Amino acid sequence: MTGELAVSAQGLVKYFGDRRVVDGVDIKVPKGLVYGVLGPNGAGKTTTLRMLLGIIEPDEGERSMLGYGHPRDASDLVGYLPEERGLYPNMKCREAIAFMGALRGLPWATGRKRADTLLDNAGLGHAKDEKIRKLSKGMAQLVQLLGSVVHEPQLLVLDEPFSGLDPVNQEKLEKLIRAERDRGATILFSTHVMAHAERLCDRLSIIAGGKVRFEGTVNDARATLPMKAHYTPHHNVEGAHVLLPADAVREGDGWRFTLPANGIEALLVKLIDGGYGVSGLSIERPGLHDAFVKIVGADALKDQDEEEAA
Amino acid sequence: MSKFSRMLRQALTVARRDFTATVFTPTFLLFLLAPVLMIGFGAVGGIGAQSIVGDDSQMKMVVIAPPSQAPTLIETDRQLRKLFPRKSEIMPPPLTVEAPQGDPAAQARAYFDSDKFDAAAVLYGPLDKPEILYARRGWTEAQFLTQLAEQSLRAQKLGNAEPLATVTQTAVKRGQGSPTGRGQAASIGVFAIFFLTLFLSGQAVGTMAEERSNKVIEILAAAVPLESVFFGKLIGMFGAAMLFVLFWATVLINATRLLPPEIAAGFPSVVAVIGAPTYALLFITYFTMSYMLLGAMFLSIGALTSTQRELQMLSLPITIFQMMMFGLALGAATRPGSWVEIAAQVFPFSSPFAMIGLAGSSPVIWPHLLALAWQALWVAIIITVGARVFRRGVLKSGSPKRKTKIEATI
Repeated sequence: MTGELAVSAQGLVKYFGDRRVVDGVDIKVPKGLVYGVLGPNGAGKTTTLRMLLGIIEPDEGERSMLGYGHPRDASDLVGYLPEERGLYPNMKCREAIAFMGALRGLPWATGRKRADTLLDNAGLGHAKDEKIRKLSKGMAQLVQLLGSVVHEPQLLVLDEPFSGLDPVNQEKLEKLIRAERDRGATILFSTHVMAHAERLCDRLSIIAGGKVRFEGTVNDARATLPMKAHYTPHHNVEGAHVLLPADAVREGDGWRFTLPANGIEALLVKLIDGGYGVSGLSIERPGLHDAFVKIVGADALKDQDEEEAA
Repeated sequence: MSKFSRMLRQALTVARRDFTATVFTPTFLLFLLAPVLMIGFGAVGGIGAQSIVGDDSQMKMVVIAPPSQAPTLIETDRQLRKLFPRKSEIMPPPLTVEAPQGDPAAQARAYFDSDKFDAAAVLYGPLDKPEILYARRGWTEAQFLTQLAEQSLRAQKLGNAEPLATVTQTAVKRGQGSPTGRGQAASIGVFAIFFLTLFLSGQAVGTMAEERSNKVIEILAAAVPLESVFFGKLIGMFGAAMLFVLFWATVLINATRLLPPEIAAGFPSVVAVIGAPTYALLFITYFTMSYMLLGAMFLSIGALTSTQRELQMLSLPITIFQMMMFGLALGAATRPGSWVEIAAQVFPFSSPFAMIGLAGSSPVIWPHLLALAWQALWVAIIITVGARVFRRGVLKSGSPKRKTKIEATI
């Protein structure tokens, strides 16, 4: 990893009562990238982000943001969308966005002008003078997001930004994140939805049980798992099993197994010579979801599913 | 931009939002006009009370005397009434002179049973030995008729009821105010600041509830130091309070100007020793400090509550606390030089009340500068402590539970 860091944290620890919810987290976010913090529910993602932003103080460890020793000193250069969305319901959209900019040092008049442009670009131009309480949940969430970028921050921190959004608005949000990165901003966001992370992240950390279990690119994460092959014999599907690797499992009319370390070619020769033939063959790279499951452990994911079901 | 000026800018941003959110609502109009309701209910209560006490408009004093004495009696009555402010409540009821008919004693007694008017007192007999009958609550009128008889007799002997002396009256304004006026200036200042603070600062208790309920607190806490949030909210609410004060001050000043001179003259000579402009300035400053001190405390306590019920439960202890501070300050105003005065001036929450009391009775300036610095320091302390407690208690930014020695040993 090279270049300047937008966010740096070493050994962050946080207790809630006797529970150590963040247990020595290290994070280094290079400037200009989209950086994902992934993890199951209760992994400590939000607490980590809140510590990075200076909303709460860590019990141990150090952090810096955009070169400042305390995150609050950099607050004018940062935009933040919290997990629990919040806006003043009686404020008009334009004023709400300008207010969020004013908190970060943007003059009100400039904030209002930019709010108009942002609302127009987001397809919410008709709602400039609407009060927040009259908007749908998704629209209000977009307004809040616009409020977090109105002052053109160098660092944008988004906590579970996609939750509660319909697919259309999720697409809008992805576009906005890419636009912010193209503007030169660094984006740090947390999610437990792998699809978004896979599409957006330049780098990511996977947190589970309050610890960082993985740090790297999406490809690095995928590379923690071997590639898989799906082979469909031409004859005697059951008999082909004897020549396949030990982890081969039946899947449809073929077999799925880990790609041998020396490649597929030698195995194919054996299968053809054995008279099984090749009706179909595909080689699949594992997805981020699979890598995530492997990294955080199936148990953690099971816990997450149970929480979501509840 | 320095850290302080940035904090101030952030506080003013929060204040601006809170001020506009408070003032530009129909509820604020109701709040602004609340004293009208209070005065209205007071007037209704007054009418009710008066109907219980009784209406004096049917009251009369009667003198039974020959028609030849009537002009002298009427002129003397006119002269004596000059002792009372016009249209004042203590002005005796109208006088009627009736000619004697038969037995004057029986005639006088009969007036008390009249269904045309209520006789307060009746005089009959010769003016040098008059008899006066008076009804319940007619003692004052009996004294008036006694003087009427005396002065009318003197006028008869002089042959003229007109005043003999030509008097020149000139109103003089006291430079330092009377001792009573000074005491009143002190007490009025304490009362005024107390009531304004009682009515207005209590609202600060619930101001953080909005941010907590709609989750905006997370955005504020990420962008702005909590101290700025607290201070900003306090300034915002104070702005609304000042609007209320300015509105009613303007109304009252103009209403006082419209009062008839004789009623205005009835007001005591309330002149603060420190001088009217300085007193006015100190009044505004101490009201500000009083609001900030109590408001900061209420805001900090209210911010820790999580339900409306908890907020409502706080109103009683808050009012009691304010009454205690008021009692302490009033005690200080009435006991200059006592330990109570010093205690009230030093204790931060009663200090503004006690110091405005001092401004009414002492011309020295430096204690006020010292007191204002002391009070400002306490505002900063309360806001800082309040913000820290909020950060630990509500935002869960507390430190871990440290292991006790026993646990550590095990």
